[in-house]
Amino acid sequence: MNLILIPIILPLASALVLLIPAGRTRYLKETLAVLAAGVSMLAAASIFVTRPEPLSLAWLNDAITFTLRADSLSAFLLLAVSLFSLAISLYSFSYPWSFKGKGENCGAKWFYFNLLMTQAFAAGAVMADNMVAMLFFWEGLLVFLYTFIALSQNSHAARRTAMKAFLINAVTDLCLLAGVCITGYIAGTMSMSEISANKLTLDYGWSLFAYLLLLVGAVSKAGAFPFHTWIPDAATDSSAPFMAYVPAAIDKLLGIYFLARASIFLFTLNGSMQLLLMTLGAVTILVAVMMALVQSDYKRLLSYHAVSQTGYMILGIGTLNPIGIAGGLFHMINHATYKSCLFMTAGSVERQTGTSDLSKLGGLFSVMPVTGLCFIIAAAAISGIAPLNGFFSKELVYKGTLETGYTVFFFAAELGSFLTLASFLKLGHSVFFGKRPEALSETREAPISMLLPMLGLAAVCLAFGFGAQLPIEKFIAPALTTLGLQNFGELSGFHPDKLYFLSVIVILAAVINHMLGLAAGGGKANKASDHIHYAPVLKETYALAENRAFDLYEQVMDRVVPPFSNLLSRIDRGFDWLIDAMPSAVAGGSGRAISRFHTGSYPLYMALTIIGAVVYILLAGGLK
Amino acid sequence: MDLYTKLLITAVALPVIGAFAIPFADRISTPARNSLSVLLGLCTFLAAAALFWPVCAGQTVTMAVPFPLGFDFILQADMLSVFMAAISSFVSMVILIYSLDYISHYDNQTEYYVMVVLFLGSMMGLVFSANLLWMYIFWEMTGFASWRLVGFFRSDKDVAKANKTILVTIFGALCMLVGIIMVYFDYGTLDMNVLHGEAISMAAAAFILVGILSKSATLPFSTWLPDAGVAPSTVTALLHAAVLVKIGVYAYARIFGVTFAAPDGFSTAVLYIAGASALVSAGAAMVETDIKRIIAYSTVSQIAFIFLGLASGNSTAFAGALLYILMHSVAKGGLFLAAGIIEQNTHTTDITRMGGLFASMPVTGVAFALCSLSVMGIPPFGGFFSKFLVFSGAAQNGNLAVLLMFLAGAVMTLLYLVRLFYKIFLGEAAGHDSPKEGSYTMVASVMALALIGLALGALIYYPSSYTQLLTTNLGVNLQ
Repeated sequence: MNLILIPIILPLASALVLLIPAGRTRYLKETLAVLAAGVSMLAAASIFVTRPEPLSLAWLNDAITFTLRADSLSAFLLLAVSLFSLAISLYSFSYPWSFKGKGENCGAKWFYFNLLMTQAFAAGAVMADNMVAMLFFWEGLLVFLYTFIALSQNSHAARRTAMKAFLINAVTDLCLLAGVCITGYIAGTMSMSEISANKLTLDYGWSLFAYLLLLVGAVSKAGAFPFHTWIPDAATDSSAPFMAYVPAAIDKLLGIYFLARASIFLFTLNGSMQLLLMTLGAVTILVAVMMALVQSDYKRLLSYHAVSQTGYMILGIGTLNPIGIAGGLFHMINHATYKSCLFMTAGSVERQTGTSDLSKLGGLFSVMPVTGLCFIIAAAAISGIAPLNGFFSKELVYKGTLETGYTVFFFAAELGSFLTLASFLKLGHSVFFGKRPEALSETREAPISMLLPMLGLAAVCLAFGFGAQLPIEKFIAPALTTLGLQNFGELSGFHPDKLYFLSVIVILAAVINHMLGLAAGGGKANKASDHIHYAPVLKETYALAENRAFDLYEQVMDRVVPPFSNLLSRIDRGFDWLIDAMPSAVAGGSGRAISRFHTGSYPLYMALTIIGAVVYILLAGGLK
Repeated sequence: MDLYTKLLITAVALPVIGAFAIPFADRISTPARNSLSVLLGLCTFLAAAALFWPVCAGQTVTMAVPFPLGFDFILQADMLSVFMAAISSFVSMVILIYSLDYISHYDNQTEYYVMVVLFLGSMMGLVFSANLLWMYIFWEMTGFASWRLVGFFRSDKDVAKANKTILVTIFGALCMLVGIIMVYFDYGTLDMNVLHGEAISMAAAAFILVGILSKSATLPFSTWLPDAGVAPSTVTALLHAAVLVKIGVYAYARIFGVTFAAPDGFSTAVLYIAGASALVSAGAAMVETDIKRIIAYSTVSQIAFIFLGLASGNSTAFAGALLYILMHSVAKGGLFLAAGIIEQNTHTTDITRMGGLFASMPVTGVAFALCSLSVMGIPPFGGFFSKFLVFSGAAQNGNLAVLLMFLAGAVMTLLYLVRLFYKIFLGEAAGHDSPKEGSYTMVASVMALALIGLALGALIYYPSSYTQLLTTNLGVNLQ
């Protein structure tokens, strides 16, 4: 069997094996899942090194074959997908899968089933060379997204959020489907490698439309504004491992991967598309980070950052210059690392304390030092503090942005950095420092199976920092060789230039802001953002946002869908009248009218017959 | 006469004649009647499926009885008719098995079995007929059987709805007859082998189209279908999902896809009608609160997608539409049968009085979800591929307005099916006493259809290469 199939087939088969009811076997399912993820990881690594031949099977018709190909970008993504699957399956070993009313291990069973299925489909999506095969795997993730959320808690809220996530993604996947159809038709092939040999332009309407549809599919998977609204809801209505796995890692990897594919390999973009992408990136950064700042729940706060960071990636790719694109891709992998790690710390804090409410947490660093340390590393990385990985990828994005000449986006991104750091100061301060509440006096450190993957990811944050030479040279640059990217030195290494000093200024500003917030909030860390939350104008905007006034999904479901369906239903009733009530009335009416002539009078019948005959002769003669 | 010709005659004659043997079997015993009915369904399916061998080998099986004036009775098994016959007889067989438990506590069971088998037989006759006149005769026979089946319950309301069904479809059939007569006067024959590749006049095409639209419940003749939901769920599954409504699309494929070259403008008009039908009925499905009416509207909406594929005028879309017939028959049949279980155990069809049924009916719930996913066209279910090919063909057709209409229709499909599933199986329980799961045979039939939908997705290579070959071999005027 071709090596390329292992990362898809193995998790898939293991997931199906998990479903066989095995009684009360403790840790059997967990071990199986970890083993499957581990072996897939090895296979992915060997694919990355050896680059096996593409695999092509006959499928739908001549143009649509089932082709898997591991090029530089795919192999890199596959490695990332496998890494996060392994980390999360390890982490979830001791996660409390309490499930009211169901069997003891039921939660764990379904979690691992969904995890392995997601892994298999995500691996397929990144390796598929035929766009239809990619779409198959990509859309197939929908089912598992739904079951992942719906089965993570036994509550109505979880099911509602699962439905929301399903619908948002299903609708945008439909856009992707239409985009793939049109792109394939214009290009005359569904193979992405063939299209990239002869890229499409956006010069005429259909190709522009196709690219926009692909764009919607990609950015919505990545969780960009305005398709992000299920993510914060899922943060409260599902489990921390799910958040660490899907919205933080897999969705970002896939979404940004395909954005890069479409924008760099399939289409040649023009200036206005560049502007659109950069605007989308900047808006996503700012809107989400503003929301993150005022959250009072550990996971919900993190989830808004998961959205906000997507903005940097889109901004980076939107610059369309090699530095920015490299920055976007680098940020994608960095973000998955630290955000997964952050959600893991949230999960372990929640497991040990029973809450994720910031006002009930505090002073945990002394009792949970490892979790605290991982949090500090990951939070510093996401805030772009040198020498961690986040600093370098953001620096590349900034450089790329400045090179385009649109300085406004650069400042938006810097403002985003400031707010990111401010909210992490608030978060870290309220959870790990300050005074520990009475209720948490017994709290202990999380079990080793949770700490290990956290430490591993924190180590990656460090390893990918310090000049960032390794990831750039090994992973990012090879994927972008077609862009004429030659000078790696420009991309990696530490440069004490203006950008660095600006980042120091941003850090100082955020710290000062935090001090101000603390002073205004009476020293309570969880109120450190209140001076922004309740500032004039912002206060009203936040109130509207809390009422979901800016939630596209809720607005459409409340305001657009019901009247539109009612209108269509009225039209349907109209047609019903046309084929049912109206013909009945006409038939009944004319029947009654004609029955009046049926009087039994022979002369009347004769008269009618003669009149009829005369009319017929006249007409027939006249026609001839 | 070789074996395949015998099989062809068996597939048509066995159910048509066998149907009239059912009352005699009833005289013996109820189990004898039931087993005869299932056996007839099974044998019909086997005979139809066995015809796959010759047609896949490139052979056409023909049987002709000469009649004067070009009204020859011709049965012909080619790739298209065998494909359609196998699907219809398979779903009918599953429905017959499911009926054993479902129908067992109602009156008029013998009539029910007679009519179902007769319906199956006339369907077989219709798909295998290669003469337009005989096609019309079998067409009316299916209409008659469906009239008796929709009126299975004898209240005034049921009878009124059954009359609506027959009146609308007969009106359409008569229009079609006019169209057929016009063809006869133009060419002097109704043998479709002779007519192959000829042009058809706009007026004749339009008259035939009225018949097709009324049988396949497409705008403006769509509303008899949801109204016929008063019938037992097995009947709605048989008529609305799997077989009856497919007659229209089959006739479209047969007449305008593989026989006549449709005039320009005609196909475009069909695309717009189908687009409107997809949207309007999807909107109605969002508003309705009766489970069977919602699924029936969903059928109307999905039929429009099949028309989209058939009328797009390229081979991708045509092959996709044929796959769509297969996927939709299986999935929608499953949905109606699941609805039957729900209806029987909750004693209501009102979704506002359900909610939270997943806890007490998990297997039905899972099967319902799987079938819904296939209808929505989510991979890895078979529905994904048919939807993709149809959209792909629509993109090739290059009509942006039509494409957008169907995109909106597909979005609405997602919305009403998710809403339906949520309201029935999740959501707050609305004052019911946690009804039990259906009987073993019923749940097993539903689950079988759901899993077949999944298997069709996994093994998509086989059906898709079949439809591809069919389109290449038989298609007329396709790009």
